[in-house]
Amino acid sequence: MLHDFIVWVESQWGVGQTIFQRSFSDALEQSWNFWSLVEGTHVLTLMLFFGTIMMVDLRLMGLTFRQTPVSVLSERLLKLTVVAFLILVATGVLLFFAKAEDYYHNFWFRIKMILLVAAMINIYVFHKVVQKNQAEWDTAPSPPMKAKVSGLLSLAAWCVIIAAGRFVPYPDYHCGTPQPEWVNAFANCAESSKGAARLDGSIIGAEGY
Amino acid sequence: MMLLQILPDNFEQILPALRPWVDTIGSSAVSEALGSVFAEIEVFHLLGLFMLAGSMILVCLRLIGVGLVEESASSIWRNTRVFLHIGVAMVLITGLMIGTSNADKLYTSVAFLVKMISLVAAIIFTYLVTAPVAKADGAAGGQAKIAMIFALLIWAFSLVLFISKVGLNPGMFHILMAGALMVLATTLGKTRWTFAIGLALALLVWQVLTHTVLAETEAPESLDAYMLTNKVFMYLCGAWVLAFALLSILGKGGPRTSTAFMKTVGYASVLVWVTVAAAGRWIAFAS
Repeated sequence: MLHDFIVWVESQWGVGQTIFQRSFSDALEQSWNFWSLVEGTHVLTLMLFFGTIMMVDLRLMGLTFRQTPVSVLSERLLKLTVVAFLILVATGVLLFFAKAEDYYHNFWFRIKMILLVAAMINIYVFHKVVQKNQAEWDTAPSPPMKAKVSGLLSLAAWCVIIAAGRFVPYPDYHCGTPQPEWVNAFANCAESSKGAARLDGSIIGAEGY
Repeated sequence: MMLLQILPDNFEQILPALRPWVDTIGSSAVSEALGSVFAEIEVFHLLGLFMLAGSMILVCLRLIGVGLVEESASSIWRNTRVFLHIGVAMVLITGLMIGTSNADKLYTSVAFLVKMISLVAAIIFTYLVTAPVAKADGAAGGQAKIAMIFALLIWAFSLVLFISKVGLNPGMFHILMAGALMVLATTLGKTRWTFAIGLALALLVWQVLTHTVLAETEAPESLDAYMLTNKVFMYLCGAWVLAFALLSILGKGGPRTSTAFMKTVGYASVLVWVTVAAAGRWIAFAS
């Protein structure tokens, strides 16, 4: 059902209401500059997002700003991180909207989304569990192990999210290209318009599916 | 207009003698090997950029008088410099690898030319201006001021190229928006709200004009109107951002704990790296 909705959004929504009778999604994807500006904004905003969250995570790991209370660093930097995150989400939604079916069935995009959820869970656990007794270790040059682990997991997750995002447009692991069965299953390629191509050359699904 | 026509379009125009060398690199086994791991190299190129950006943002915001104000600029520099150095090393090394695997494309790319010119400005700014100024908590020796003039001139040249090259100039939007974010971060109260509302209105009118009013027709003349609208609004928004940045630098509507020189260093150091990054991203879009 979700796949059908995504296909409708990409191919039908807005048809007849835009120039050249394209859907809103196609109009965005085929725009002269707008899509490029959205994509460029998405990538460049990571300078602010990753740059600030990296410093907070490194502090949690006791690797920098060891004389600065964790609460001070967090309070000053995380405002900037949140602003950047909101820009990333807004531009990310637009980018997905422009090529919805492709991204929905993209191996690396799914990895990116799973890790995004994992990063959010890590943030939640940090606030609910790790931060409970922060007053005891706020000024410690080397925070306790649970804080270090939280910082390390956060930094690792965002690095892999960035990597996965960079891999999305490359043809490796795209539906329609011959690949292992588990990749086809993970990306639900059989449901996609390009189908699930197996290593033996056969294809399940594809146009007319 | 004549001045714009003599501006170079790429490295091939400036250094045509390198063509045989570029062709040799492009057909080499090293180029092919690096090309097979292009995406992986790009990941490290981006991570290096984001790492150095984190350091620069913290140092520069502090120079402007906002951000981590509990620490001195010299303390922030000491705590972040290793990540700056690692980030710069990563972008340079991976940049060489990317260039080796993509020699012809970059040799003929105007965006790459802009990126390299602004990179020179960024390196000079970072190591000969921002670093000594931060280490001295805002005090600036004569060397730093001279270096800043050179870096600003080189950066200005890269911006002139960026603005003037058809197909590349939409990328200026990223520098404009980065400048806008810095103004929002460094102004207070009514000044901030006036800036934000004015910019939001301009962006809204711009988008309405180019995506509805001017998009109504398929006639060729509509393209001229579309391009003219883009130019007018880009310059309008740019002037708006610049005006409020100057207000902030001169201490109106923002923190007054830093000198105009420190604030100029702070603004320019971040925006020159944004120029490098934006030009880099537009290598793919402007070709």
